[in-house]
Amino acid sequence: MKAAALAVGFALSTALGSLTIQTADAVERGGTLNFARYDGSKLVDPIYADRNPDIWMVGSLFSTLLEPSADGKDLVGSLAESYEVSADGKTVSLKLRNGANFSDGSPVTGEDVVFSLGRARNPDLGPWAGLLSAVSSVDASGADITISLSSPDPALLSMLATFNTAIVSKKAFDAAPGANDQEKSAALFAKGGPGLGSGPFYLSGFEQGTSMTFSANPHYWKEGEDGKPLPYLEGVHFQIIPDDATRVLKLTAGEVDVAEFIPFSRVAELDADPAIDMNLYPSTRIIYSPINTRDTRTDGSANPLADKRVRQAINYATNKEALIGLVLQGAGKPMSSPVMSSATRLATDMSPLYGYNLDKAKALVAEAGLKPGTEITLTTLAGSADDGTIFAALQQMWAPLGITLVAEQVDGATRGSKNRSGEFDIHTYGWVDDVNDPSQVTGWLGYYPTRKAVGTGWNNAEFNALYEASSSEMDPEKRADQYHQMQEIYAEAAPLLFMYETPFAVAVSGKVDGYLQTPLGNNVFERVFLER
Amino acid sequence: MAGVQYTLNRLVLMIPTFLLVMIIIFLLVRMLPGDPAVAIAGDKASDADIAAIRDKLGLNAPLWTQFWLFLTNTLQGDLGRSILMRAPVLDVIIARLPTTIFLAVYAISLSILIAGPLAFIAAINRGRWQDNVIRAVFQVGLSMPVFYIGLLLLTFLAAQLRLFPVGGFGETFLDRLYHLFLPSVTVALYTSAILMRNLRAAIIEVLDAEYVQFARAKGLPPRLILGRHVLKNALISTITLLGLSIGQLMSGTLVTETVFAVPGVGRLMLEAIFARDYPLIQGLTLTFAVLVSLVFLMTDLFQNWLDPRMRLS
Amino acid sequence: MTDLSLSSEIKPSRRPSRMQIALRKPGFMAGAAIIGASTVLALFPNVFAPHDPNFIDYLAVRQPPSWQHPFGTDLLGRDSLSRVIWAYSINMQMAVLATVFALTIGVIIGALVGYYRGIADMIFGRVVDAIITFPFLVLVIAVVAVLGPGLINMYIAITLVGWVYYARLMRAEVISQMTNDYASAGIVMGYSDLRIIFRHLLPNALTPIIVYWMTDMALAILLGSSLGYLGLGAQPPQAEWGVLIAEGRNFITTAWWLSLMPGIAIVLTGLGFSLIGDGLADLLRPRG
Repeated sequence: MKAAALAVGFALSTALGSLTIQTADAVERGGTLNFARYDGSKLVDPIYADRNPDIWMVGSLFSTLLEPSADGKDLVGSLAESYEVSADGKTVSLKLRNGANFSDGSPVTGEDVVFSLGRARNPDLGPWAGLLSAVSSVDASGADITISLSSPDPALLSMLATFNTAIVSKKAFDAAPGANDQEKSAALFAKGGPGLGSGPFYLSGFEQGTSMTFSANPHYWKEGEDGKPLPYLEGVHFQIIPDDATRVLKLTAGEVDVAEFIPFSRVAELDADPAIDMNLYPSTRIIYSPINTRDTRTDGSANPLADKRVRQAINYATNKEALIGLVLQGAGKPMSSPVMSSATRLATDMSPLYGYNLDKAKALVAEAGLKPGTEITLTTLAGSADDGTIFAALQQMWAPLGITLVAEQVDGATRGSKNRSGEFDIHTYGWVDDVNDPSQVTGWLGYYPTRKAVGTGWNNAEFNALYEASSSEMDPEKRADQYHQMQEIYAEAAPLLFMYETPFAVAVSGKVDGYLQTPLGNNVFERVFLER
Repeated sequence: MAGVQYTLNRLVLMIPTFLLVMIIIFLLVRMLPGDPAVAIAGDKASDADIAAIRDKLGLNAPLWTQFWLFLTNTLQGDLGRSILMRAPVLDVIIARLPTTIFLAVYAISLSILIAGPLAFIAAINRGRWQDNVIRAVFQVGLSMPVFYIGLLLLTFLAAQLRLFPVGGFGETFLDRLYHLFLPSVTVALYTSAILMRNLRAAIIEVLDAEYVQFARAKGLPPRLILGRHVLKNALISTITLLGLSIGQLMSGTLVTETVFAVPGVGRLMLEAIFARDYPLIQGLTLTFAVLVSLVFLMTDLFQNWLDPRMRLS
Repeated sequence: MTDLSLSSEIKPSRRPSRMQIALRKPGFMAGAAIIGASTVLALFPNVFAPHDPNFIDYLAVRQPPSWQHPFGTDLLGRDSLSRVIWAYSINMQMAVLATVFALTIGVIIGALVGYYRGIADMIFGRVVDAIITFPFLVLVIAVVAVLGPGLINMYIAITLVGWVYYARLMRAEVISQMTNDYASAGIVMGYSDLRIIFRHLLPNALTPIIVYWMTDMALAILLGSSLGYLGLGAQPPQAEWGVLIAEGRNFITTAWWLSLMPGIAIVLTGLGFSLIGDGLADLLRPRG
């Protein structure tokens, strides 16, 4: 519990309070948890999961070799009971746990590990293969697994605790119908049933866009507080309800036990309901806005935002606390590291990161010679109430700088295309880490070769060199220092409008205990139980 | 014989219409902004990945080739694969369509049950307070947007009074009737308002007709007159009207499914549009067009069968 | 907007002064009063709105109705009454702009194909069939998706689909007018086609068009607010009734005033247009 770092408003502190009360209850077994989701899974397969509703469910159906420790700072064994990294950082040895089984009772073998990691690092299959590019071979001899690397990779152990390296059964894949891996995966998912994964549950029902059911894996290796295998639940039933208000209504009407993605404007109201626990789980989600830093816009006109001082000025002129009050009703906090959430490892706390300072902002625009009445376009997501609010607030906040903020509303796909082509001034965006390591988000936001530094066109040689060096730096202290330097450079250059971090708001019926959403967003059901 | 000839003519007329429908759908989907390859690959993909996907989808081929492929594939029942659902578009639509059809049929039944008796009461009490009240209530109903009616019913009858479930659509038939009651009422309010007005007018027209006046003067019992003339007339006008308002009914289900979280094709259409799922948008638009024209056709044939004088010129 | 309710109200009226009858009809007068008041609000929202509709005051969010804020405040502390009033200018604009171009285009095309018939009329028939084969909302949403969400694009989308209904009505009307004496008289007298169409046929055929237009304006407000609600029409922070209801829908039980007031505005305005439509149907009913 990073309670100290998250003391934001009354709602959160009470939510954390109710969390600690929960764990005091004695566990009860049985029952099905009814869960209202904002969006449905399409294909829960470790290597093909590429949308959050898929990624966040992988861990319930499939186990990984390692997993994050309870405090998230370290890694502990899961399917592997121990691991060791060689002195040169080029060999990782793991030993499989005795008694780790797939959901049909068959044991997890070295062959399954070799098969699963082979899929995970095959660039012709899923989108995540690049995360394992340092791996040159995976071998198994009995319960001993050896992973050889072509160059040291400080993020590799974290990768082995990430959804894309979860272990699938080779036997199940071999037996599945289909000409290639994609078809086999789709067929296995469509069929459901035990035997494919070794997570706490297996998929037992799926209706496209409507519902999904998990049943308990009776052969799961982890033990509960009562000394018997987890999970406590018999199963989880998911209903897909994209509409925020309807999801909340379902919960308050008692038709479901959990509703996720509660609009922040309703957190206080649900928190006051004695039958409901309103939880705000710490997350790695950051909301920010990339700024186009190129000298000219795509239409050829001069780009006022190419000047670092103007970018700094709009950052100073943005009252983040006020924005958090308006959009999140206080349930959030300003970004404190420029390239990652504070819950990400190696985050440097630089708060206040561009704390509200209108005088400084005015001085900076004057120094930059920004013409009064300069038009800047904010591209927002059409139909998004949050984006509407952000626009209205920024328009008011930046007016004293002589900036006329104009809104341009587009849909998500168009915003994505604009980000790629650079046809924007500033646009709203968000991010959640997929990996328990800072390299992914830092590469995304700042390393030019990845995606032109999140489309901003910001290309800083020093930053790029540091990023490249850090990706094979095995000395934790040196790596931490490189990350620290990158964050300083990035903050100063301000290629983003730094906004805020938001928690995951999940409302749970009072009879539900032990539910957790991790900072990466993963829904964890293995320790959930229902009071009767 | 004339009936068969009429049916054939009617079917032949549908061919050019459907060619146009296909062209409209194809052009609309090609003109959608945002790259489908970006939609498939996601924000995090590299530019090279996207180029490869564009190639694979045939998006670099000339427009004419793409249309020909779309046309021939569709005729063979191949609507492509949904990006969002990762499954064949046809399968996705077939899985969701029954819910929407159930909702539509349910709503039509409710509209008839609501509008029929009320129209009758209004017509025989023409100009009196019963008539005025009924007409005023439906007039207000007609001025309410579907999403607003749904929102009010959902909040007050389902969430506050807990008389009905908030969402979902049930497992058994009876369960489904119960779950989809509020969504159906939402759709039915609008249809029944239109139906009521027309039925009322139709009944009044018959009542005012000379032959009915004559029958009355002759002293025939009113019940017999109503039974014989009014019912037939009312039936024809009801079916015609319901058939012609199928498009509106579908528009209504689209909004209602969104408000009530009913997993039908209407909600799917909005999801597909927001996700830029081109093959799915194409397939769904076509499905709607096919549904509507089938209903038009059936209405037309039925009308023709009941009243051969009303043939299309 | 395939409103079929037009053909209703077939009550025969044989009395001489229809004008007087219509003016005596309470429905028509009520409709005229509502639309008159709505128009005034739409034209001068700044005069009637007590506050700036976009002024954010996050110290006073979701306040219940009071003397200072008769409709309460919204989730950003903006004055709800002022937002509902300012929305009049957008929603009334919707009623006009979403229909008037469809009407113009439809009337011209309908009159031309009705007069000349032939190949153009056949093609027109297929186009009409193809367009009415799509549920109205589905096609409008698809076109909005192509053009991008927003008010202007919504007008374009509704016009692209909606002209068909006017054209169909106009064509039928012109064809029936052609059988009348004055049209044939015009042809005999050697008037030009355009003169016959625009001086003689069109004015006489306009009556049902105008009646339909009234209903269509009511429907335009319903459709426009639905699209606003779905996030495809007017965009927040713009004050539009559908958007206001969408913003308030999360608080329908706790801050009911947020979604109730714009809802009432929609119903009242819609009612106003349809009452006028009904009244006009009586007033303008052709002789015979």
